[in-house]
Parts: sequence; structure tokens; C-alpha cells
Amino acid sequence: MTDYKRLSNKLTTLSDAIGTFVSDGSSLCFSGMAGGQCVAHTYEIIRQKKTDLVLIGDSPCEAGDLLAGAGSLRRMEIAYCSYAVAGLGYNFRRAVESCIPREIELVDYSNYTIGLRFLAGAIGVPYIPSRSLLGSDIPVYNKDVKIERDPFGGELVSLIPAARPDTAIVHVSRADKRGNGQMFGFSANAENMARAANHTILTCEELVTTEEIRENGNLTIIPEYCVDAVVELPYACHPWNMPFAYAYDIPFHSDQLAQFATRENFLKWLDEWCFSAESHEGYLRKVGYERLDQLTRIERKFCKLKV
Amino acid sequence: MAETQYASDYSTSEFLVTAAAGEIVDGDTVFAGVGIPTLGALLAKMSHAPNSILATESGSIGPDPGRIILGIGDNAGVENALMDTSLWRLFSDQQRGFFTIGMVSGAQVDKYGNLNSTAIFGDRDYVHPAARLPGSGGANDIASSALRTVITMPLQKRRFLEKVDYNTSPGYLDGYDSREKAGLKRGGPSAIITNKCIFRFDSVTKEAYLYSVHPGVTVDDVKNEVSWDLVVPDDVRETLPPTAAQIEIIRSLDPMGIYIGDGLKNMNFDTYIKMLEKSYKEL
Repeated sequence: MTDYKRLSNKLTTLSDAIGTFVSDGSSLCFSGMAGGQCVAHTYEIIRQKKTDLVLIGDSPCEAGDLLAGAGSLRRMEIAYCSYAVAGLGYNFRRAVESCIPREIELVDYSNYTIGLRFLAGAIGVPYIPSRSLLGSDIPVYNKDVKIERDPFGGELVSLIPAARPDTAIVHVSRADKRGNGQMFGFSANAENMARAANHTILTCEELVTTEEIRENGNLTIIPEYCVDAVVELPYACHPWNMPFAYAYDIPFHSDQLAQFATRENFLKWLDEWCFSAESHEGYLRKVGYERLDQLTRIERKFCKLKV
Repeated sequence: MAETQYASDYSTSEFLVTAAAGEIVDGDTVFAGVGIPTLGALLAKMSHAPNSILATESGSIGPDPGRIILGIGDNAGVENALMDTSLWRLFSDQQRGFFTIGMVSGAQVDKYGNLNSTAIFGDRDYVHPAARLPGSGGANDIASSALRTVITMPLQKRRFLEKVDYNTSPGYLDGYDSREKAGLKRGGPSAIITNKCIFRFDSVTKEAYLYSVHPGVTVDDVKNEVSWDLVVPDDVRETLPPTAAQIEIIRSLDPMGIYIGDGLKNMNFDTYIKMLEKSYKEL
């Protein structure tokens, strides 16, 4: 069996990476938090019709809502699923309230405790104690969390179980072909997802040389030994923003969610933007490079990278 | 000293923003969700609390944006930030006690300031509720660990309940010392800010009482929208209205009325890009 993490050139395509590292029944996590979300990756998983997946995540929007709507998920362990300012997670709601298109086993956490789950997985311990969740109803319904007395001081703490997903799907600002990933701006749970998972697919806005990585080692959040595959994937987060790369396309999101309000129109959307587009490149052509370029140009006015 | 100029024309949302800002004191580190709370935090920073710091959930601390923040992970949250880090690091700083004030909300609140943003059960249950809401996000963590929290939500009888269906974000639980007994050694809500009034919490019973009513609102107006027998002290005051200067700042922060109006509904790609270009030119 190939030890992908030892390869010196991990470059591949999105469809090959998903095909190799995501199977029916896989447990998955996606990087990003509001901005920087893995939208292209989600569409590719739906295109490949992966099913019975387990999603572990802080506040996954597309990954949570689209996969729920596509019927790809068996279980979600999350803190939040909604598009926030742009609108509600209609597919998520239909799945939980009415089992449409299928029932999903839902386990509630908070953003911090999901972060701690990836941290525990990343540092190789079974759980991490926290003050979060105490007194709330989250541990009443989520039986994977335990409230115990600290053996040293006797205080009540919540014990948050480690997450060890089969595959982490992580999108960063830039990376080299060996899998060293650098991030400009916030990184949410990316660094720990990459370490907690059995396999990590690293995608980047821009592929750079290892020499360029070495020039600013402080920016590296994921070293090559965590990574199994590298894909250059510009505009992977559209319509979401990517720090220092492109602004949030909130008008696009508004139109998208207006369509997601009914099941029938959601399926039309999937047909048009996922299946008929055929690939991420097809999706981008459909959005229009002029529009994407405008999002990049406006972003560079506000946030100029000085690396 | 110049006399304060109160605004003559303002919306309910704008009033909420100024009231939220009023809870922030200079030097606070503010953990605020997007929308009214972020606008409140930025308004405070641009007026009476210039040394306050905003933290957003995705991992940015102390941004100084030149445009509207459109989400907890928007690029505007990264703009001119003091620090860009990871989610667990930022939330750990909160658990450690560095975040002095957190802004939270929910679909339901009870008299002890417990919040529900998980599910409205209706005649069903948690597994298949009548309405599934987004979930905690970071709200449970803020309610557990910020040194104090401020709740902002519209005053409606169906939202202000004797008991919430699901306690997502702990307030004072069952009142008195129950929060502490559950292991939450500090924090808890200091105010509920609504479109009609402000509630604060009794220092012993931890029950919410009516603190002030907004101009034009009566005590009965408030009681009609609360499901429990509300404590109304003798000295209920009138909330100070927004000042003209505050309203001017708010409208500059949200020029298309995305949070303070229905700007999102009327927006298209061209007007959106034009709004951002205008914000940039005004920097």
C-alpha cells in the first residue's frame, strides 16, 4: 500500500484526491469557518456520489447543508449549520425536521469543543477537559461528552472526546507539491484537522515552490508529513471569501439560498452547478472569470499581502 | 460642555446597536457575533471605547476594517488585525479569562438568561423538532467563559419564556448559585437588550428584571411580551436614545443597510462592488 505521506510530489487533481481518500462511509472534516470554506470539494464529493458519510465540523455551511441535501450524510457532529448573514441552512433543516431526503444522526457540540476535538486528535490524546457545555443541555443529548470531576482539584469539567476523521479536506492560501501549507489570515481548525485525520487532502489557492515556503516558515500551519495529496484549486471557496485572495460574493449566496428554500429548486441547483458544470473549472466558468476577478481586485484594495 | 444631540430619526435596529455599544467599556476585549453585536462593538470602538478589541470566531483578533463585516470569517475581520490565529487558540484565550465581554443571541430566552439557538421543539422533540435552528456555534462557549455576556434579541412573547426548550447557552440556569454549582465559576449575562427595553439581573436571585424602557414604550408593553411574571422595580428608567453622532457612525459602518435595514434583499453584484469601492475611497 502506498504511503502517500512520504511522497515527495503529492500533486494530483481534485477528482483523483476525492476518489482515492473518500469512500462510502468515510468520516470527513473540512477547513474554513464562515470564510475559507471548502465549496469546490463538497461539489466534487456530491459529483462522485459518495454516501453514508460522517461529517465532523465546527460550522460547516456548504459541506453541511449541501451534503445533507444531496443525501450524502449518515451522521453530523457539528456546532452550527446555517449560512449566517446570507440565510438559513434549508437542506440541513429539512433533513433534521423531516428526514428529507434521509435521516441524519445529529450530535450537537459548540465551536470551541469541536476545536478541542481536533486538537485532542492532533496531539494524540483521547479527550481534553473544558469549561464549555457545563450546565447546558448539549451534554444532556450528546452522550459522547462526559461531565466529570477533575481528579486533581475536584471541579466539574466537561470531557471532550478526540476526533480522528478518516480524511481531512483542508484549503490553504498556498502550498508546495510536498504538502507544506501556508495560511494568510485566520486558520480556524485547519492545522489540527490535518493532524487529527488519517489522510489529509491539502488544496491551495496557489501552488508555490518549496523555496518560497522556506522564505516565510512562520506562515506554514501544516507540514508535509501530515499530507497525502496536494491540489491547486483557485477560487475553491466561492461564493465564500478567502483572506487576501477574494472578497465574499454575498449576492451570489443570496440567490443560491433563495433557490435552496424549496427541495425542488435545490435539486435544480445541484443539477446546474454541480453535475452539469462537471468540474470545479466548469463551475468557475459558469460563475464567470470577470466576476471572480472583480472579487479579487476589490479584496486586494483592502488587504495587501506584504510577504 | 456641548449639549448632547440626540438623533431624531432612527430605526429599531439602530437603537439596538447603540444599546449594545453602551454595554462596552473602554479596554474591553469583545467577542461578538456578526450583525448587530459587531456593529455595536465597532461603534463603541469609534466612539467611547477606542481601546476595545474585537475578536471574531474564525481566529482574528483586533481587526480595524474599512468595510462592513459580512460574517464571522469574513475578510473584513482579518483586515488590519492585531493577530490572525486558529479557532482553538482564540476560544482558549476566552476560556482563560481574557475576553471581558461576549455578545450572544438566540431564538428563545428565559428569566435566568438561558438561551436556545438549537431547536424549537413544538409538539415534537430534539431529534425531529418543529424547527431546527443553526445550533450553538460559539454561543455556548461565550456564555460559559466570557467575563460577562450581553444578550441581544427582539422582545416577543414566543421568545421570552419561563423555560427554554433547549438550553444551548447557559445563563444563570435555575437562578441563585446554580450556575456556579454546575462548574461555571464566573460570567453570566449582565443584560438583555431588546427593541423595547433593557433587562438586567438580580444579584441574588439572578432573575431578569426590567431595567429601562425605550422612549415611547410603557411597562405594560413590555409585560405583554414576556411569558413569566416579570419583576418591575419602582425605579424603571427611560433608555437614553441614540445620539446623532452614533447614528451617523452606524450608517457609515452599514451603508447599504444590510443589518440595519433590508439592504441584502435589494443588493445585486454591481451595487455590492460599488458599496465596497465607496468604502475603500472613504478610508
